Amino acid sequence: MRFLAALIGLLIAVPAWADCPLDLGRGTGIVVFSSHYLIAFRPEPMRIEVGEPFSLLFNVCTKNDKPAELVAIDALMPEHKHGMNYRPTIVSLGDGRYRVDGMVFHMPGRWELAIDVRAGEESERLSHELVVK
Amino acid sequence: MKRWLFGTVAAALAVSAVAQTPLPWSDDEVKAIARHGPWPQPSPRDPSNRVVGTPNAIVLGEHLFNEPRLSADGAMSCATCHVAVRNWGDGRARAVGRVELDRRTPSLWNVGYAHWFGWDGAGDSLWSQSIRPILDPREMAGDAARVAGLLREDKTIACGYERAFGHRPGGDDEKLLVDAAKALAAFQGTLVSPRTPFDEFRDALVSGDREAAARYPPAAQRGLKIFIEANCSACHFGPRFTNGEFGDVGIPFFTRPGEVDSGRLDGLAKLATSTFNLLGKHNDDASGASALRTRHVQRLHSNFGEFRVPSLRQLGAGPFMHNGHFATLDDVVKHYSEVNPDRLHSDALPLVRPLALTVEQSADLIAFLRTLTAEAPARPTPPALCP
Ligand SMILES: [Cu+2]
Repeated sequence: MRFLAALIGLLIAVPAWADCPLDLGRGTGIVVFSSHYLIAFRPEPMRIEVGEPFSLLFNVCTKNDKPAELVAIDALMPEHKHGMNYRPTIVSLGDGRYRVDGMVFHMPGRWELAIDVRAGEESERLSHELVVK
Repeated sequence: MKRWLFGTVAAALAVSAVAQTPLPWSDDEVKAIARHGPWPQPSPRDPSNRVVGTPNAIVLGEHLFNEPRLSADGAMSCATCHVAVRNWGDGRARAVGRVELDRRTPSLWNVGYAHWFGWDGAGDSLWSQSIRPILDPREMAGDAARVAGLLREDKTIACGYERAFGHRPGGDDEKLLVDAAKALAAFQGTLVSPRTPFDEFRDALVSGDREAAARYPPAAQRGLKIFIEANCSACHFGPRFTNGEFGDVGIPFFTRPGEVDSGRLDGLAKLATSTFNLLGKHNDDASGASALRTRHVQRLHSNFGEFRVPSLRQLGAGPFMHNGHFATLDDVVKHYSEVNPDRLHSDALPLVRPLALTVEQSADLIAFLRTLTAEAPARPTPPALCP
């Protein structure tokens, strides 16, 4: 809720971002942003099950409306100091939309998603925490 | 006199049952326990195997499972090592084929639910894994021509094949080997372990039935609490008590002086070069979805010395671990209690750390683990293949 308020605040403050399509087909997913990027994503299927393969659907936007690219996706469990046993692949669907296949969270607990994006020369890593039970 | 004694004993038992109450369980603990059920799960599915779950293939598979003519010298069948009354294993520390092998015969209970097979995960389907010991020169030492010949030439088996697959055995030896393995997999998919005292407790806890929950022994309840607090379910996750993946828990991986078993690292190399993996032509799943893990799995340095996380259901009498390193469950619990973090292999999960259990706590943990086992009903004689 607080997050949503922050997001709305942000969208009002930066009108250019209003063009970023946050709707990922089944309502807005999770939103991550920095001073340059606004990224919306959601898992497919919506509920991530421990040990079950899933995909991620992304919309990647930039503040100045320049084309942005999803470069890499990785995930690790900070407490256990390990990553995934699977290497996801990224498929560009055009217009800043991406599909990431082959994700598997093989343990319950806290996973940190690392999202590497690039717009022209500038690249950045955004992260988001997901807890699977 | 006798009746009086009986009455007294019954009353005493009733009192002790009433006196027992379940330990206090938090909502989070109940949720964690609920994740280990319900049991049994729906029957295993495998889109890569077109005959899985079909009665005629299951019957053919059971006959082939017991068929020594699949081996080069006609002396060894799948059932030689996977013995029904020994939890579908052989009770040895290391399996014995034509020679002594480096690893323990894994149990086949609930194998149909797995997604990686063998201690090193070299197999990505139950049918491809079933081919491995048939061809391995140290085990059954068979070959495709021998298996295909048996399916074509033995009248009863040929009839069983036709019933299972809807057509007579064809001329392609490799395809017949794969079909034999798919029937073997259909049979093994039926080996689902029975409901256990833990399952009764889990269901009682989830439905809020305190009276039923109180019937679960207090030692097992205390052991279950240790299991949850120690985060054992990070790997021993879900209804089968395994996440189906791989870990290095600090078991020595020398097989003999100067030789190591690199486990998952070697398994993934074997998987990649196998003609029978799910990326190959023998996968019956046209959608390609069943090959998702095989397509995306990555081979990492940390896979060295990793072995598959075993299920904890129907543990049996031991030995335990991938190479039978521990003779008893007490030894296994002692290992997790005393493991020296410095002696863990460099990439070992930081999840494994000495639990420093007291004697009572160790006994409680073992009492819990024992409640994941129940006596399996005796197996009926397999129905005739083609009466
Ligand atoms: Cu982990």
